[in-house]
Amino acid sequence: MKQHLGRQSGVQTVEVSLIDGKVQITPKEDGRIDPVQLLKATYDSGVSVAEMDLTARGKIVKDSSGNLALQVDPTRSFAIVPDQLSQGLEALAGSQTVVTVRGQLYKKTSGKKKADLSAPLKLQILEVQKKE
Amino acid sequence: MNFKKLVVLLLLGFGLTCLSQAQIQHIEMRVEGMT
Repeated sequence: MKQHLGRQSGVQTVEVSLIDGKVQITPKEDGRIDPVQLLKATYDSGVSVAEMDLTARGKIVKDSSGNLALQVDPTRSFAIVPDQLSQGLEALAGSQTVVTVRGQLYKKTSGKKKADLSAPLKLQILEVQKKE
Repeated sequence: MNFKKLVVLLLLGFGLTCLSQAQIQHIEMRVEGMT
């Protein structure tokens, strides 16, 4: 799995801990890493993903439906799950403020062996680390 | 300074600014079934 993930676009390093089943991925600075591709690659290597968390810097924007999203590069943004933490970011929508957040992008639903990756992943904010 | 060099420097600066402003910094996955 480590080699499989290491070959994905935008991946710099992959650290696997067999003891607690955690995989730490450090992206390259080219910004080409694709979390969905990583989930697919992990499943392709025969391992099931229970959770995927990420730390990202980006701008808060509103999509065409008026929902909040974190724009991590000019072509990619993640819709934000509305909750108490995301409400605190609403005022930053459309501003030049860059936020650093830690959030959960994927969590396995009980009973399902394989993830449904056809629907866009939504980011549940766990922590707002920085506003610049 | 040569105008072309100035344009290249500006474009380079803009690119670097975009890179440093927004990106995924770290990803952590919890997996099951790993041997």
